[in-house]
Amino acid sequence: MKQKRDVQQGTLALMVLRTLDVLGSLHGYGIARRIEQISGDLLAVNQGTLYPVLLRLEQEGAITSSWAPSENNRRARFYRLTRAGRKLLEAEKRDWDQSAAIVARFFQVKAEDLP
Amino acid sequence: MSAMRRLFARTLNFTTHRNGDARLREEMEQHLALQTADNLRAGMPPSEARRQAILKLGAAATIRERYHAEEGLPHLELLLQDLLYALRRLANAPIPTAVIVLTLALGIGANAAIFSVVHAVLLRPLAYDHPSRLVFVGEDRPSAQITGNGFSYPAFLELCRHHDAFSAVAGLAGHALTLTGRGDPADTSTIAVTPGFFSVFAIPPLVGRTLRDDDSQQGAAPVAVISEALWRSRFGADPRIAGAPITLDRRVYTIIGVMPASFRTPFFDQAEQVWIPLLQDPLFSHWIARPPQTHWMPVIARLQPGLSSRRVQSELDALSAALARQTPDEQGWIAKAQPLQQILVGDLRPPLVLLLCAVALVLALACANIANMLLTQATARSKEIAVRVALGASHARIARQLLTENALLGLLGGAAGVLLAGRSVPVLIRLLPSDLPQLHSIHIDAAVLAFSLALSIAASLAFGLAPVFFAARIDPQSSLRTGGGAGETRRSRRTRSVLAASEIALATILLVGAGLLLRSFARLLSVGPGFAVSQLAKAEISLPRFQYSKPEQWAAFARDLLTRVQAQPGLHDAAIAAPLPILDTAVTLPFSIAGAPPPAQGNVDTANYVAASPDYFRVMGIALVRGRLFSADDTLTTPPVALISEALARRYFPHQDPIGRRMIFGFPPNGNVTREIIGVVADVHDVSLAKSPGPLLYVPFAQAPFWGGEVVVRSGLSLTAVAGAIRAAAHAIDKNLPVTEVEAFPAALHASLAWPRFRTLLLGGFGSLALLLAALGIYGVVSFSVSRRARELGVRITMGATPANVRRLVLRESATLALAGLAIGIPAALALTRLISALLYGTAPSDPLTFAAVALLLVSVTLAAAWLPARHAARTDPIQALRSE
Repeated sequence: MKQKRDVQQGTLALMVLRTLDVLGSLHGYGIARRIEQISGDLLAVNQGTLYPVLLRLEQEGAITSSWAPSENNRRARFYRLTRAGRKLLEAEKRDWDQSAAIVARFFQVKAEDLP
Repeated sequence: MSAMRRLFARTLNFTTHRNGDARLREEMEQHLALQTADNLRAGMPPSEARRQAILKLGAAATIRERYHAEEGLPHLELLLQDLLYALRRLANAPIPTAVIVLTLALGIGANAAIFSVVHAVLLRPLAYDHPSRLVFVGEDRPSAQITGNGFSYPAFLELCRHHDAFSAVAGLAGHALTLTGRGDPADTSTIAVTPGFFSVFAIPPLVGRTLRDDDSQQGAAPVAVISEALWRSRFGADPRIAGAPITLDRRVYTIIGVMPASFRTPFFDQAEQVWIPLLQDPLFSHWIARPPQTHWMPVIARLQPGLSSRRVQSELDALSAALARQTPDEQGWIAKAQPLQQILVGDLRPPLVLLLCAVALVLALACANIANMLLTQATARSKEIAVRVALGASHARIARQLLTENALLGLLGGAAGVLLAGRSVPVLIRLLPSDLPQLHSIHIDAAVLAFSLALSIAASLAFGLAPVFFAARIDPQSSLRTGGGAGETRRSRRTRSVLAASEIALATILLVGAGLLLRSFARLLSVGPGFAVSQLAKAEISLPRFQYSKPEQWAAFARDLLTRVQAQPGLHDAAIAAPLPILDTAVTLPFSIAGAPPPAQGNVDTANYVAASPDYFRVMGIALVRGRLFSADDTLTTPPVALISEALARRYFPHQDPIGRRMIFGFPPNGNVTREIIGVVADVHDVSLAKSPGPLLYVPFAQAPFWGGEVVVRSGLSLTAVAGAIRAAAHAIDKNLPVTEVEAFPAALHASLAWPRFRTLLLGGFGSLALLLAALGIYGVVSFSVSRRARELGVRITMGATPANVRRLVLRESATLALAGLAIGIPAALALTRLISALLYGTAPSDPLTFAAVALLLVSVTLAAAWLPARHAARTDPIQALRSE
């Protein structure tokens, strides 16, 4: 059986931002579901850990939230990316790409490539 | 940017108590509902669907906690929570809390009070511009063990001519001149200064200007700068004072400026003061002509910035060499620069440091005591702590809570201590010798507050760590199972015993120190000064030297005055002399003996010098040993005579009869008068009670008069009556003559012991405090141990132990503590008291009697402190003790 991996500290926020970027407005459960789906069910989220992250992002101004009726006709808190959040996401993406590229280069390197 | 926003949001939440808990709960409920619905759709049975949803969400309490942690300022919140809890706990146990706070307040208060003195006297920089650059330039003669003498005027001029190391140099000399024309005539501290004086200190005047170079030129008009206090008291703080006259010793000076009250002249720390050019001084202007061999003028200089002390010294060495070339007699003198503050502080450092060390010991003792009380409490609290650990509190969390509690205790104690210090500083100032430099600037300032805060924190760590470690080892299982009663571990009992023994050790050190000072002070009090003190009083009269300028006038005045004083009822026993033993600064003069081989090159024989009227010896009660005393027939026109003290006779005329021999000495400028020794008188302590009598030379006042002198009388009249009678006699001659410094000898001698009395009193107080704290500590340890051992004692009594046996058992335990404490304390005290041997008089630092008395005292106090718990233990009811477990 494949071991499910815990979400790394810090990357959860990035995943939340990107999920909201793609899907617009979502409630907490929706975000948790989507993250699991997108990861191909490789990530196990103690879904509750999401809420402190949402609060932090909201305090930082990256997302806003408001009450709205959900699919089961009860009200749910819906989260939406703000302009600052979008900028933050772009910056984080650049950082991530850069680090990934650096790490990738290390994996590609062969002894004869080095002078 | 976002971090700032977040901090802002958190702070807002924290301060407004906004709480998102309700929102989170609703969100989580909705989350569960949605997940359950999804699970149902996936085909789970309803109960399983809900269960899986809950599992997937995770522990609700943890989520809420983490959410909450994101929400506000958790550390601050915890701190507040801990503080509230601590306050509640402390308030619930008012008596132990009060005892701890009071103990700490005594320790910290004593430290803060002593530190305020140490800070003002030793640490605070002098109140001048760049005070670290101010130096005292003195002349030393290592071969004669003379240090810190002043300069002669010619040498001073040489110094002024050749100084690259100093930006300004000044000589100064002080005495009291009589201020007239502004209220009652009064002796006013007058400082005669060379032109550079005010540039050395670089303090601008409050009004007008200070002295300029041209004010010190020959023929310049006499001018004066006055102090703010004098300006306020005598000149109504007139802002247009410049140009007003001031009359000193019958001579009119023009006031040119006022110095602010913050400016105090080093060595002459008086609030009311006048500064005049040296050349305008009635006395010192004549001293300018004194030869290079007279080292009379203190010199203060300001160093150029950034000079090494070696560079300064090499310049001074060059100066000394030049002076020695000009005046061969000056060979062996070396000019030396020393930081001014160091010179002013002088020999005050050892007693002050001693007191600071003593209070530090008191605080250490207080901390040991508190640690003991807290450990006792912690043992009693172990159940509470075990419950909290069992409920999920981490040890770190509990340690944090206990540390908060200790810090709170520390701060409460510190605050109470500062209040206590604020109360005791005025008392200290009254107890302190009035000649203490900076006495007027001792107060609780920011530095003292910071010091007390640091002490409070250090103390709360010192007394708080043991209980925290103890709490960290509590195992909830065993603690709860035994009902908390047996929470006492062998380890914590040992810690408590070690603490109690160290309290005894600390108390030993303090008590030995106090005992030694007390013993040496008692010795000092029992010293006879060499003259009869009771009913003896004195008053000082000084003559205006512009009006009375000739020695003949001085002699005539003294004769006239004495006749008039003796004519007053009850003042028949009166004499005149200068200087008086102990109360006046001794005058030390070089002398030589006619017909004796001259002393080795570079050595000079010196003795202290007194001019006295014939009745002086009878009035003072100084016995004639051999020969005759002075008589009214010894005058300026008869051959000069002298009396010598026994100490001088012993040292310089061993196995010889000094009577009829001739000595050559005299008060400058008449330094070379040949006098015949006519008698030998008994020794007196002429410098201080603590200094053994040195060689003394007496000359008849009529043959070597001063411009005034000290009238001594032995009279049954009150001091006021004596003062009034002497004033009346003086004013009958000249109504403007000031009669000052009227003092009764017993009181004046009492005042001369101010320093030893002060340190003895304080150290005695600290020693008693230490004894009390140690007794409390022993009592606490023993009574706690008795209550914990009730069961064991019960068993012993059941097995046949008599009450006496039990009592002995308990007392033996405390005696062991006392002996252990003494075993550490006595060697430590032996090592430490050597450091205070300079403060002791006639008492060895290892004085066996003091050590034995302290050991005996501590053992008896320990046994007395253990007596109550021991009696309690002996009355243990075995049935009850065994049942209560």
